[in-house]
Amino acid sequence: MAIERIHFWGIAAVPLFYVLAALSVMVFLTGVYLRVSVWLSARGGHKLGISAEGMARVVTDGLLGRRIFRGDILAGLMHSLIMWGFLGLFVGTALSTVDHWFVHYLNGETYRIFSLCMEVFGVMLIAGLVVALVRRYVVRVSRLKTEGPDLWILVLLAVAAITGFFVEGTRLAVQTPYWESFSFGGVVLSHLIASPAWAQAFYPYIWWFHAVICLGLIAYFPFSRLFHSLAAPVSIYRAPQPGVRWARTAAADQEAVADGEAPRGPRFSFGDLIDLSACTRCGRCDEVCPSASAMEPFSPREFIAGANAYTRAAANPLARIKWLRERLPRAFSVAPKISPEQIWYCTTCRACLEICPVCVGAYRSIGQVRAAEIEDGSRVSPLLVKALETLYRFGNPWESSKRKRSEWPAGLAVPDLTEGAHADLCYFVGCTTSFDTRAQKLARAFVRIMTHAGISFGTLGQRETCCGDIARRVGEEGLFEEQMDKTAGLLERYGVTDLVTSSPHCFNLIKNEYPPWSREQEAAALNGGAPGSAAPVRVRHYTQVLAELVDAGLLGRAAAINRRVTYHDPCYLGRYNQIYDAPRRVIRAIPGVTLVEMEHWGPDSLCCGGGGGRMWQELEGEKRLSEVRIKEAAAVGAEILVTGCPYCLIMLEDAAKTADLEGGLKVMDLNELVAESLALGGEEE
Amino acid sequence: MKPLDIVVCVKNVPFTQDVDLVLEASKRDVRKDNLVYVINEWDNYAVEEAIRIKEQWGGSVTAVTVGNEDDEEVLRRCLAMGADEAVRVEPGGLQPDAFITAALLAAVVRSLPHDLVLTGVQSDDLSHGIVGGLVAEHLGLRHAAVVNGLTPGDGSVDIAIELEGGQEEICRMALPALLSIQTGISEPRYVSIMGIRKAAKKEIEVLDARALGVATGDLEPALTVEELYLPSDGEAATMLQGDAASVADQIIHIMRDKGVCNG
Repeated sequence: MAIERIHFWGIAAVPLFYVLAALSVMVFLTGVYLRVSVWLSARGGHKLGISAEGMARVVTDGLLGRRIFRGDILAGLMHSLIMWGFLGLFVGTALSTVDHWFVHYLNGETYRIFSLCMEVFGVMLIAGLVVALVRRYVVRVSRLKTEGPDLWILVLLAVAAITGFFVEGTRLAVQTPYWESFSFGGVVLSHLIASPAWAQAFYPYIWWFHAVICLGLIAYFPFSRLFHSLAAPVSIYRAPQPGVRWARTAAADQEAVADGEAPRGPRFSFGDLIDLSACTRCGRCDEVCPSASAMEPFSPREFIAGANAYTRAAANPLARIKWLRERLPRAFSVAPKISPEQIWYCTTCRACLEICPVCVGAYRSIGQVRAAEIEDGSRVSPLLVKALETLYRFGNPWESSKRKRSEWPAGLAVPDLTEGAHADLCYFVGCTTSFDTRAQKLARAFVRIMTHAGISFGTLGQRETCCGDIARRVGEEGLFEEQMDKTAGLLERYGVTDLVTSSPHCFNLIKNEYPPWSREQEAAALNGGAPGSAAPVRVRHYTQVLAELVDAGLLGRAAAINRRVTYHDPCYLGRYNQIYDAPRRVIRAIPGVTLVEMEHWGPDSLCCGGGGGRMWQELEGEKRLSEVRIKEAAAVGAEILVTGCPYCLIMLEDAAKTADLEGGLKVMDLNELVAESLALGGEEE
Repeated sequence: MKPLDIVVCVKNVPFTQDVDLVLEASKRDVRKDNLVYVINEWDNYAVEEAIRIKEQWGGSVTAVTVGNEDDEEVLRRCLAMGADEAVRVEPGGLQPDAFITAALLAAVVRSLPHDLVLTGVQSDDLSHGIVGGLVAEHLGLRHAAVVNGLTPGDGSVDIAIELEGGQEEICRMALPALLSIQTGISEPRYVSIMGIRKAAKKEIEVLDARALGVATGDLEPALTVEELYLPSDGEAATMLQGDAASVADQIIHIMRDKGVCNG
C-alpha cells in the first residue's frame, strides 16, 4: 500500500455528504450575507480603504493576538490554540479536498508531514477548548459572563475535534499501515479498540457523526459568536487611532433630517456596525470602565450586546420579505430596544477601546444613541437641557452671561486679540476655565508663566465662545456645528495660526474634529489617515507649550518643591492624543519634586468622571469615580496630585474634600505647580 | 377618545434669570438690546402638554403668538417640539399690553378649530397672569387657572388645579375650555438645533393685528408705565462666621427664631 491520503474510506454515500456540505455552505453564506447587510445598512460611507498600518494591526493584534495576550496571558494562549488549531484544520481540510479532486499530492513524506500537522492542530484545538471550558465553567473568571450559546459553541468545537481523532483511530484499528505512525493521536486511540471487525462496523457511524457536527458548525458559524473571526479583522483594520479625526455623525444625515425623513432611533455608522458585530463579550471593557467599576447601572459590554441585537433586528433583510413576515410574525415583531438611561453614564474616556482585543470602543456607538435621544428630546435630563440651552443662548454651558467670560484674569494684564492686540500665540481659555472659580486659577497661573517666559500671547476676550465639545459629546450635533462654525470663524477673523488651550477637551475637538473638513479628509479619516492633517491652525495643549518652555530652560532657576507628586492623565490628553510624556517632563524638571505613579496611569489611567457631558448631569453609582481616583493618589503617598484639565481639577479637588483627604493631599493644575516653583506670586489660598 | 384640536398661546420673552438688568434712560422700560429671548417658561410647559396629548390621542396643535418677526423664533421652537401649525399676529404699530394681546389672541383662536386652548399661567416679563382669563372671557370658554395636571377624556378634561398651602383641586371640565398651565405639570422636552433647522422650513402664517376685526377700543393700551426702578440692595443677608459645626448651630437657631422648624 502506497503512502497517501485516503479519502472517504469505507463511506458509500459520498454524494450525500456533498449535498449536506453544499447545504451547510449555503446556510453559512446566507448568514454572512445577513450580518454584512447590517453593516451595509449604514448611512454614509461604506469604504474600508487601503491602509498598511491597518493590515499590520490585523497581523499583530488579530493573528498574533497581541491585544488578547496583554494583561491576560492565559486568555491569549487559549485564543491562539483555538484559533490556530481551527485555522490549521480548516486549511488542512481544504488541502485534502484539493488532493482528492484536483491534484494528488498528499503522498509519501508530504502526506506524513501533513498528517502530523493535522494531529498537532487537533491537539491544539482541544487543548485551547479545555482551557476555555475550565476558565468559563470551573475557575469562573469573573469578567466572563456566561450565556447558553457560549457552552454550545465550545462543546460543538470540542466534539468536532475529538470525533475527528476517533474517526482516524477507528480506521487505524482496521488497517494499520506502518507509515501512519505520524498520526499519533489516531494510533493511540486505535490501540484502545481490540476488535477490527467491530471498528469496521462502527466506522461509518462515527464518520457521519463527525461530518454532521462539522457541517453544522459551518452553518452555525455566522449566526454565532464565531462570526467575530470575520468581523474582528475588519474592526481591527479600521481601529480609530489616537489623534485622528473622528468622522462626524450628523453630516451624512443632516439633509435627511432636514427633509423630515430620517427614521427615529440611533443611526449607526458603517464602522459602528462592524464594531458591534465584532464584540465577543470578553468583558475586558467592563473591567476598565470607570462607570461600570463604580457600580453604576452601565456596562459597555451590555450596551454593545443590546445595540448589536437592535441593529440586527432593525436591519434584518429578511424582515423586508412580506411572505416571511406574515408567516413568522413573532420572529420579526420582537424589536430589541436600547435602554436610553444607560447611555449617559459613559464618560467617553476611551478606556474600553484601549483594552478591547478587537478595537471596539463602546463610546462611539453610544454617541449615536445620544444623538438620537437628543433629537427626540423627551428623555434628556433637565440639568443637561439647562446646560445645552445656556450654551445655545450664551455660548457657554455654565453661566447666563457672555460678559462674565472675561472676568477670570482678575486684574492680570491679558492682551485681547479682538481689541487690536497682536500676538503669535492665541490662548483659548475655554468655558470651564473661564467661569469656574477653581479652574480660573489655572488660567491665571498660565498667564503668569507665559508673561514670565516673555511669550507673545493673547486671548479672544469676551468674544471667545464654547468650542462645542459638550454638545459634541452628548450628541447635540447641530449645536456642535454652530459652535464649531463660530469658533472657527473667530480663529479665521483674528488670523490665529497658533492656538493653545487650557482644556484637553477643547484641544482634542479643535485639533481632531474641526474643519477644514473636505471630503478627502473625511475619507482619509475613515481609512485611519494622518493625524490632524492639513489643519490651518496649529493646536496645542498647554502642557505641550510648558514642556517646550521647560526644554528651553524655563525652570533653570526655579525654587525647589520638596514634595511627592503624582500625575493624573486626563483622558482627552492621554488616550485620545497620546500625550503622556510632556506633562511628566515638566513635573520632573521642577527641582525637589519626586514623581510617583498611581496604580493606573498612562493609557490605563482612570477617568475623573467629568467627561462625556457628565459634568452636567447628576448620575451616581455606589462610588464616585473621582473618589476612586483620589484614593489611588493617596495610596501611593502623594502629597500633590497634579492634572492638566479643568474638569479633572474640579472633580478631583471636590473628591479630596468629600473623601476627607484634603489635609494630606493637595490637588493642583500643572500650571499652578510650575508657577509656584517660579515664585510667580501664586494664588492666595 | 375623539382627537382634540388644541391651540397654544405662546410668547417670546427676554431671559432674565441671573442677568443684571439695566433700565432705559426714559425709566419706562428695561434695556433689552443685550438680552437673549426665549420661550416664556410657563408657555413651554403648555406646549409640552399639548404635544403630549397629541402624541397619545392624536389631533392637532397650533401655536399662536403676538409679536414681530424676531418672535417667530418661539413659533419655530413650537414647531420643532411637534406643533402642526403656527400663527403670528403682527402688531404693526401697536404696543400690546396684556389686554390688547388677549383681544388679538381671542380673534385668532376664534378662527381656528379649538377643543382646548392652553396658555401659560403668566409671562416672565410682565407677570400679569391675566391673558388666559381674558381670552376665555372674549371667547366665552370655560376657564381654569394654575393647572398642574391634565388628562383628556371624551368631551371633557380631568384637571388638577394648584391651590394654596400645597392643596390641589381635582375636577372635570366640559370642552371646549381654556386652561392656564402651571410650570412643573410635566418636563418639557429638549429642542435640538437640528429640530429647529428642520422646523425653519415650515410655513408660519402671519396675520395683521388690524385686520382681525378687533374693536378699535380693544387695541388701546389699558395700562401705561410711569416709572421703573431697580430695588435697592437690602440688608437681608447675614454672613455666618466660624467652622462648619458652629455655622450649622447658628443656622438651626435662625430657623427656630423665624419659625421655620420646631424643636
